[in-house]
This record gives sequence, C-alpha cells and structure tokens, in this order.
Amino acid sequence: MEELDLLKKAWQKDTHSFEQVTEVEIYKMLHRKSSSIVKWILVISLLEFGLWALVSFMFNTDDAIKSLHAESFEIYLKIITYVNYAVVLWFIYNFYRNYARISTTTSTKQLMQDIIRTRKTVQHYVWYNLFMIFISTLLGFAMAFIYNPNMDTLRYQIEHEDGYKTLSITICMVLITIVVFVGLFWLFYRIIYGTLLRRLNANYKELKKIDL
Amino acid sequence: MSDDLEKSFVKQLKENQNIIHKICRLYTNGEDAHNDLFQEITIQLWKAFPKFRGESKFSTWAYRVALNTAITLYRKSTRTVATVTYEGQKHFLSQEDYNLEEEEQIKLMYQAVQQLNDIEKALVFLYLEDKDYTEISETLGISEVNARVKMNRIKGKLKKILNP
Repeated sequence: MEELDLLKKAWQKDTHSFEQVTEVEIYKMLHRKSSSIVKWILVISLLEFGLWALVSFMFNTDDAIKSLHAESFEIYLKIITYVNYAVVLWFIYNFYRNYARISTTTSTKQLMQDIIRTRKTVQHYVWYNLFMIFISTLLGFAMAFIYNPNMDTLRYQIEHEDGYKTLSITICMVLITIVVFVGLFWLFYRIIYGTLLRRLNANYKELKKIDL
Repeated sequence: MSDDLEKSFVKQLKENQNIIHKICRLYTNGEDAHNDLFQEITIQLWKAFPKFRGESKFSTWAYRVALNTAITLYRKSTRTVATVTYEGQKHFLSQEDYNLEEEEQIKLMYQAVQQLNDIEKALVFLYLEDKDYTEISETLGISEVNARVKMNRIKGKLKKILNP
C-alpha cells in the first residue's frame, strides 16, 4: 500500500521532534504514586463521612432523647452535630484541594511541599475526630447519668450513702470506657490513614534523594 | 526496589523514550493526553522492570509493555478518537521537505490510522517502526501468519477509509 509506505517514510524521518523527557522528570513520574495515595485519602474520608451520616440516620437520636426526657440536651447535640458536619466537610474539601494540587504539580519541590501539607491535613483530621469522639462519649455519659431512670439507684447511692466511693468508681468506669473507645478509633485511623501516610512518607524520602 | 535498579531503568528509559512518544502519538490526541499516556507507560514499565532480565533488548521489551499499556488503557477509557483534531498532529507535519501533495496525503493517512482500533494501531505502529513479521508477532503475542493476515486487513481498511 503506497500511502502506508509514504507514512512510514515520514514516520521514520521524524524521530527527533518530540520534546525529550529528562531523567529527573522520569524519576518524578515513578514517584507520582503520591497523587493516587492522596486520592485514596480523599475517597476514604468521603466513605467515612457517608458511613457516619448513615449511622446517624438509622439510629434516630431524637427518639432516644425523648424517651430519656432530655430535651434540654437536644439543642447542644444539634449544635455539635451540625458543627461537626461543617468541620468534616471542610476537611474533605481540603483533602480534595490537596489531591487537585498534587496531581497537577510539576516540580519536585512543590510535590514535596504538597505531601507535607497533606500529611498535616490528615493529622489534624484524625486529631479532630478523636477529640470529637471523646467529647460525644463524655456527653453521652453525662446525659445517661442525669436523665436515665436506670441510673436512679446510682444517683441515690452517691447522694445519700457512701457517695465518695461510688462516685470515684463510676468516674473510673467512665474514664476506662472512654479510653477504650477513643483507643479503638485511634487504632482504626492509624491502620487506615497511617498506612497511606507511611506510603506517602516513603515517597517523600525518595523525592528528597532525587532533589538534592 | 534498589536505587541501582531505578537508576538503570531511568537511564534506559531516557535513551529509549522516543518509542513511547511514538506510541503516544498514535494513541492519543493533543498534548495532555500524550503526557498522560507517557506517564502511564513509564509507570507500567517500571512496575514490570524487575521481570526484565535483559534477555532481549530494552527497546524490544519496552515495545511490548508500552503497547500493552496503550491497548488496555485505551480500552478502559472512553476517550475514543472518532474525530481527529488536526492540532494534535501539527508537529508531525512540520518537516519542510515534503511537497504539498505528499503532505496532504500523509495527513489523510495519519487520520485514517487514528480511526483504527487499538490492536490495529499496534500493528501499524510496529510496521511503521520497520519491524518484520517475526518481531511483530512476538511483540503482540500472535502467530506470524495471523500478523500477516491482520496487516493485510488493515491495509484494506485504510484504503476504504481513504477512498470511501
């Protein structure tokens, strides 16, 4: 076929018209996995957000509050919930921005800075979440203690009998529960985000070697 | 993976990068897509590099991995090349030593090739690279007879596209 051979001639003549990629650029491409790690951070945070939203839909806290007659608490719970949503969405937005930035970065230096920034965002996110879990567990206990009718005997004991002893036992139990609870979440975050961050970190070290 | 391995990979890739550029030219339109595919192929080559034992030339091995990447990526993505923008191939025609008629013919031919499917493009690519059928069949993992038959079909198809 004449035309194909014509094309072949042109094709072979034309080998030097490509913009050549430098070694440093190739190194960078190999370490581009950063952007996919950051993408995963975004995806997982979204999934997590969705999961919690779903959980709070399924377990209607309003009913629980009504059955406890703890309406005065309701307003605080609402505020916490909405503030929490806003903060988490803000984090997700930041994750997205990190991802967008990292996937368009062209310089190694910039990429390294983006990695550090992403790490920080994730760390803040995890700390915020643990703090929130701590606060809401504490609030839950307070609510139960004040309003739950099953706690009447306990309250009675503290007020009228060996108050000090029972109170300290109760506080100990509450603290242990909170520590275990927060610890479980800490473990969860450590496994999920920790793994991603470790990979990101390894990548960072590689980049550092290249960019001397 | 050790640093030495990486070093030798980067060096060889740099020397052989025109292979990848050429594949990108055939499979993509425009600069962004070109760079995307280039990067994807680079990553795939790097992933496959530990299995490359130097039994064949780096270039021969790179042909195979790069084409496979282009083909699978092409299948996954929806960016089909139904309409071909002329912009993307401008640099291809920038050679001064063609006369106008030839230039026009090459342009049409190039557009016709862009309309082929991914596997056909791979064959055309290797043909344009002046590979013989033995090498084409090895690279694409098909028999030599099959390669010949396919190539003839492609030629027919291209003729049809050029003279509808």
